[in-house]
Amino acid sequence: MSKFIVISTNTELLRIPSDRLMFITSDGNYSKVYTQDGHYRHVAYQLGQLEDMIGDQLGEDETPFIRIGKSLIVNRDYIYLIDVSSQIIIVSDCQGQFHTLQASRKALISIKLLMENTEL
Amino acid sequence: MSNYKDDMRDDEIRVIGAQSRKQKTEVFSYKLDPPGPQKPRKRKKAYLWALLLAILLIIGLILLLRSGKTKEDPYDGVFEPKEEIAVQPVKQEKKILGHEVDSLSSYTERIDTVINDVGIAIFIPHNATPELWVGSPPEKDPGIILAVQAADIRADNKEILGAFVYRGTPLAWGLSKSGYCAIIDGEMTIGTSENSPLFEQATETEGYFFRQFSLVNKGVLVENELKNKSVRKALCSRYGQIFVAVTASDESYHDFSQALVDLGVEDAISLVGSKYAFGWWIDRDGVNTSFAEGWHKYKKENYLIWKAR
Repeated sequence: MSKFIVISTNTELLRIPSDRLMFITSDGNYSKVYTQDGHYRHVAYQLGQLEDMIGDQLGEDETPFIRIGKSLIVNRDYIYLIDVSSQIIIVSDCQGQFHTLQASRKALISIKLLMENTEL
Repeated sequence: MSNYKDDMRDDEIRVIGAQSRKQKTEVFSYKLDPPGPQKPRKRKKAYLWALLLAILLIIGLILLLRSGKTKEDPYDGVFEPKEEIAVQPVKQEKKILGHEVDSLSSYTERIDTVINDVGIAIFIPHNATPELWVGSPPEKDPGIILAVQAADIRADNKEILGAFVYRGTPLAWGLSKSGYCAIIDGEMTIGTSENSPLFEQATETEGYFFRQFSLVNKGVLVENELKNKSVRKALCSRYGQIFVAVTASDESYHDFSQALVDLGVEDAISLVGSKYAFGWWIDRDGVNTSFAEGWHKYKKENYLIWKAR
């Protein structure tokens, strides 16, 4: 069974199986957490804080999550397409969820190299 | 929350894990300096050894203590313990939001939260006295740590909408909205009533009074006819604490009021909202931040301000 990522605020507790979390986008002081069922939740944490939370909660080993630039965290298990020339990354579960996200060209080259060099 | 520092750049990526802060990967650098798979294992072994050593030390300490105790009192285990553990009733303490007031510095504290998917920024004035202000706002006065537009302005004659008392002088008498805010001797009261004696009291004591839409009355949501969505702002009272709540995005009155009820707000009235409602707040570091993206000026614009004590 996959581990859960727990995001707790003053008033809410959000609990998501880590393998169902597709990606997180930054929204100012808030972040939007997208799950594989097509829903998203606003949480009152900045993206860097969520990055620390995921790192702390999923343990010492590398997690499937990759921080891409200032405004995106992606679960690499859902990366469907990296298009460096168009500067987009498509996150999909190949079952209906399909999200096109923007990222910088350099970051996309790095992530492409990372994926090519990592045994998945 | 807003003090969090993020060192990430848009050109970087980072594999998230315990060492993620160190494992930053810039363009082309991944091939040159790949994250070594052996290093974490070594660290893991070191942790295991440390853990084992700690367990052994604890066991040794427990054995040592037990042997010492046996010498002092060989019948210790025979009798029932003399001291009984008193069971204290759990008190439900009302928790106020933000910092406890612990200094003489005056500032506005901001707390960001999300309730029922409604992003809300809460602004709590510390060590400050509320007042009303009519006319162009004193935006350059560093002694005003929080300022928000208070009563609405009528679209037809640009006069203040609803009863309004400024330093004891009534400037408007209308009753179009049931929510009110009264400031008598520096004490603010928020409530819902079509006929509040606080209006007269404000005129008698050089106080302040204005009316607005009621959003929450004694912990119960008040429905409003306006159904459009906009950036909403409210003056709230919760466990005796007064604060201003502002939505992060466009929301309906219903969703905003429901979020305030869920936050535990007892009474709330709306304030002038939208992205063009001018106002500002000064944080602990003295940084002045504006609420508005633009500014629609009116002849009788009026503000609720908090002056540093």
